[in-house]
Amino acid sequence: MIASSWLLVAFPALGALILLAGGRRTDAWGHLLGCATVLASFAYGVALFFASDGKPTDTTLYSWMPVADLQVDLGLRIDALSLVFVLLITGVGSLIHIYAIGYMSDDTDRRRFFGYFNLFVTAMLILVLGDNFVSLYLGWEGVGLASYLLIGWYQWKPSAATAAKKAFIMNRVGDVGLALAIFLMWKHIGSVSYTEVFAGIGDVDSGVILAIGLLLLLGACGKSGQFPLQAWLPDAMEGPTPVSALIHAATMVTAGVYLIARANPIYNATPNAQLAVVIIGAFTLLLGAIIGCAYDDIKKVLAYSTVSQIGYMMLAVGLGPIGYALGIMHLLTHGFFKAGLFLGAGSVMHGMNDEVDMRKFGGLWRTMPITFVTFGIGYLALIGFPFSAGYFSKDAIIAAAFAQEETWRAWVFGGAAVLGAGLTAFYMTRLMLMTFFGKRRWTELKSEDGRDFHPHESPPVMTIPMMILAIGSAGAGAFFVFNGQLAEWLAPSLGALQEAEHGVVPHSAVPFIVVGISALGVLLAWLIFGRREIAVERQPVGAVVRAARSDLYGNALNEAVFARPGTWLSRALVYVDNKGVDGFVNGLAALLGGSSGRLRRLQTGFVRSYALSMLVGSFLLVGLLLMVRFA
Amino acid sequence: MTPTYYLLLSALLFAIGAVGVLVRRNAIVVFMCIELMLNSVNLSLVTFARINGELDGQVMAFFVMVVAAAEVVVGLAIIMAIFRARRSASVDDTNLLKY
Amino acid sequence: MPQQFLAQGEQLQVPAIDFAAVLPILIVFGAASIGVLLEAFLPKHQRWSSQIALSLTGIVGAGIALAAYISDAPEGGITTFMAQGATTGAIAVDTPALFLWGTLLALGLASLLMIGDRSLEPGGAFISQAGLQSGGLQTREQANVTGMQTEIFPLTLFALGGMMTFVAANDLLTMFIALEVLSLPLYLMAGLARRRRLLSQEAAVKYFLLGAFASAFFLYGVALLYGYAGSVKLAEIAAATAGSSASDTLLYAGIGLVVVGLLFKGSVGPFHTWTPDVYQGAPTPVTGFMAACTKVAAFGGMLRVLTVAFEPASWEWEVPLWLIAVISMAIGAIFGLTQRDLKRMIAYSSIAHAGFLVVGAMTLTEDGLSSTLFYLLAYGFTTIAVFGVISLVRDANGEATDLSSWAGLAKRSPLVAGVFTFLLLALAGIPLTSGFIGKFAVFSAALADGNAALVVIALVASAVAAFFYLRVVVLMYFSEPAAEGPAVTVPGAFTTAAITLGTAATLVLGIVPAFALNWASAGGFVP
Repeated sequence: MIASSWLLVAFPALGALILLAGGRRTDAWGHLLGCATVLASFAYGVALFFASDGKPTDTTLYSWMPVADLQVDLGLRIDALSLVFVLLITGVGSLIHIYAIGYMSDDTDRRRFFGYFNLFVTAMLILVLGDNFVSLYLGWEGVGLASYLLIGWYQWKPSAATAAKKAFIMNRVGDVGLALAIFLMWKHIGSVSYTEVFAGIGDVDSGVILAIGLLLLLGACGKSGQFPLQAWLPDAMEGPTPVSALIHAATMVTAGVYLIARANPIYNATPNAQLAVVIIGAFTLLLGAIIGCAYDDIKKVLAYSTVSQIGYMMLAVGLGPIGYALGIMHLLTHGFFKAGLFLGAGSVMHGMNDEVDMRKFGGLWRTMPITFVTFGIGYLALIGFPFSAGYFSKDAIIAAAFAQEETWRAWVFGGAAVLGAGLTAFYMTRLMLMTFFGKRRWTELKSEDGRDFHPHESPPVMTIPMMILAIGSAGAGAFFVFNGQLAEWLAPSLGALQEAEHGVVPHSAVPFIVVGISALGVLLAWLIFGRREIAVERQPVGAVVRAARSDLYGNALNEAVFARPGTWLSRALVYVDNKGVDGFVNGLAALLGGSSGRLRRLQTGFVRSYALSMLVGSFLLVGLLLMVRFA
Repeated sequence: MTPTYYLLLSALLFAIGAVGVLVRRNAIVVFMCIELMLNSVNLSLVTFARINGELDGQVMAFFVMVVAAAEVVVGLAIIMAIFRARRSASVDDTNLLKY
Repeated sequence: MPQQFLAQGEQLQVPAIDFAAVLPILIVFGAASIGVLLEAFLPKHQRWSSQIALSLTGIVGAGIALAAYISDAPEGGITTFMAQGATTGAIAVDTPALFLWGTLLALGLASLLMIGDRSLEPGGAFISQAGLQSGGLQTREQANVTGMQTEIFPLTLFALGGMMTFVAANDLLTMFIALEVLSLPLYLMAGLARRRRLLSQEAAVKYFLLGAFASAFFLYGVALLYGYAGSVKLAEIAAATAGSSASDTLLYAGIGLVVVGLLFKGSVGPFHTWTPDVYQGAPTPVTGFMAACTKVAAFGGMLRVLTVAFEPASWEWEVPLWLIAVISMAIGAIFGLTQRDLKRMIAYSSIAHAGFLVVGAMTLTEDGLSSTLFYLLAYGFTTIAVFGVISLVRDANGEATDLSSWAGLAKRSPLVAGVFTFLLLALAGIPLTSGFIGKFAVFSAALADGNAALVVIALVASAVAAFFYLRVVVLMYFSEPAAEGPAVTVPGAFTTAAITLGTAATLVLGIVPAFALNWASAGGFVP
């Protein structure tokens, strides 16, 4: 059973090969094949899940790179952690594949889309199943490539090409970090396989472990859209919505969390790197949540929400043995509800001529009842409504954050996590209100291509996956925490989950605090967006208008105390996000491009100047040699 | 007379050749400067053979002469072809490929 | 003083030659010589077919001879062409030499197929009368004359034989002769393009003048080392470094100048200046041959010289070579960003790769040697296939190498665009391509040798360089094709075979590189 686990990867790989090499011949049935391969992997994964006891079993497929001292085998590791990911990737992946049959039905290139989608699943499975860091790197680059191809899917849009490029470049930054970490492991431990690295990490100099930890973190930040490499993720929403749901919400972007959880023996050996992970996680979760308040584009809001939720996961896995299993649990529940939310957003767009501006929505709950209900369940799960999936997974992380031994850490990171929960409730309620409630603002508008809006419910092939995901969003959390069974299952891979006993805030009080803060966020959003008209066009924020607005609605206090500073803060962060980090990346590209443009004039085309550069080069070379010798 | 002077002369000829490559425009003259560099090396080889008290260096000089002759054949063919095309043997005129 | 003079009645001693070991080289040179005779005696219309048959037979025969020799090659390698009483011969046949011979023969075969192709352009990519005045009426007619200067085949074989000798040369004089034997045909081949005669001739003249200039440096270095060590044998130079009474200035100036000559051939910055111009101007099959085989030969020679002859001085040359590797990577990565011509862009890519190869070549460990050998093999195949694909995209004026004309190519020909994307990913070093394995092996060897800073710089450079490969991919997939854009010509059997060989090797060496890596690490240089 376990020995033939390569079949998991082989199914989607075969699908991708047939669909991409088969050409137009496979157009008629390509999408069905694409779904079938992922379903086959899922079925095999379920069978493996029941056959396995969760302990690591490595199967070596063949020796990949045997250079004298450097031995890298291509092998698969079946253990609790990888099996959980296999189920998430193939399970949620199957649902999104099925959904995409409906969503992409108008696209003439649907077959190729499924080819790329299968390619992605293949690479993602290699990433989580590899039994060494080089196999992980192989999957890591593979998912990056598939993501790049899919972000740029709508190739006639220049913004899509730019977004794809940006994703690729920012991911390269992270990849360099990961590659360096792998080289360091090889240099100091002499192996790159999980077993030997984890066994040998204790004998390595602590500075080196710290460097490895930080470099792995850099890789994780690139892939998971964490600060300071978060800017590509919202832009990646240029891709089709199933891509956003599968790659940029449920699976690929959580690879960074997987990496850190997988490398837990390394992080356990270096508390400073753990602290760095926690800081990045806490900062990103606030950053994402605050920026999420500012956008009107429904997919961008969800994207920043993803950035923020992954921040929670990073925070959790940075906490060490009290948090690894919690981070993975939140990753799984998030996989359900965020995928569901994206599919819901896609369903809304499908009915609204691909419009994404929430200011043009409103009152859609009546025309799209199924979407509304499923989306609503996802919403409740995300804001942590009692007994939904998010309630269990997020509250556990917040409780663990409060339970750190050092008091200042407990207050700072616990506080940030609670604040993030409130903000999450605020921006998600805003999204719900603007999309599904209020006046039907679209009745008098036309879409960009001049058509009227006729919102309608999506076909069953799209709504059924949404319903299944909604069930998961509602029940997965309770299922996982029942008897602590997820943590127990994951123990062979991550170590036993240590119960956080003490803490600056009593353990039992955390749910009340979180629910209270979240309720406050919901209330605030309702006060600002639920009780008054939402302008179709974004209003200029002149002082007069603001005064007029607050006068009209008689809510000056609310505006002054909460809304205005909030607006400013989130606008400022959007600005920094666009100009600062983006600006740095773009500036670097411009610097390189500019210097390239100028420097290449040095290649004058004159033989004699070429000869001169050779002569100068020779002088330098000989001069340096003599200098080193005689100096 | 110490052999060192021959070595210095050889270095001087090599330098003259190298500078000639940089400053002359006519492809034939540039090429002759390169030949000068090769021949200065021959002088070095023969001198070193003398210093070391053996014949290897002198034999090497013969090899170099043969190679230089082959180079002349190839080089003149190329320079002739481009001269016929452009009616100019200036190396500064062959400047279409750049940046 | 000269005791070596033959005494009365004494017999001249012929050096001992192990013919089985050098048979591959002899076959290649033999085929080349027969090719020259064919050129002289056959009527024009028979030349192409007989030349191509002869050249292919020669290369395949050399390959068979090589395989036969490898099957029971002596452990640790031998040297041959050994003079009476000498301890080492002029040609070393050891694992690296055999590996590089195999690489060169395989790459030479692929290049030859591309050179011999007549399906893309009527009559092939080469002019039928190179001596005719360009721009004149006669040259314009040339475009329609279906014949080619078939001397290209023996020239290719001579160059290939020179390269094989170069990587096996065990003394600097043999190395110099081999360097010239490989270079002189290449100078001519660069100037034989059927179209764009002026560019082609300019490439030839630039390559020739700079190449001759560089070989003068190399030769002067040889002379200085001879003065220092009293011998040009690599092993004796190494031995002399330990205990010669001559001035160290001779040694280090000699090392520097010899290395300059090698770096020039390997198109390493700052001795790279000829590369973009010559790559762009030369006929594309020749560019492919140069880019793949010359690089293999140059770095093969560099590996041997640095390891066998200059190893005792490694402390001194490490710093300068470190700097040169950085300069080369930076030049390749930065200059490549804004190139508009595809062949020129690949030229800058090859300069960046040369920088990576220097990183491997200066790592004098077993891992460093085997990983650099593997890198050469992998890079050679990928490059040949890249130039093969470039030769397919054509418009009315021949090959359309301007980047803008490749826009939207994926719509016109998904297969060609897909193959080209794969090859570019290999150049960028994405896993499951041979480029990744090569980079991984070279960088980890360099890191294990304590060159952490260099590895970081190399990773950053390869991240920057990935950007310009990506630019081409974006252009092919994410732009609309131009209305009057070029068409993708369906290649004949020869070019198809060359591209398939290169692409398949790139894939296979990425997935199951074990056999090649094992072979590359089977042994070191014979001392």
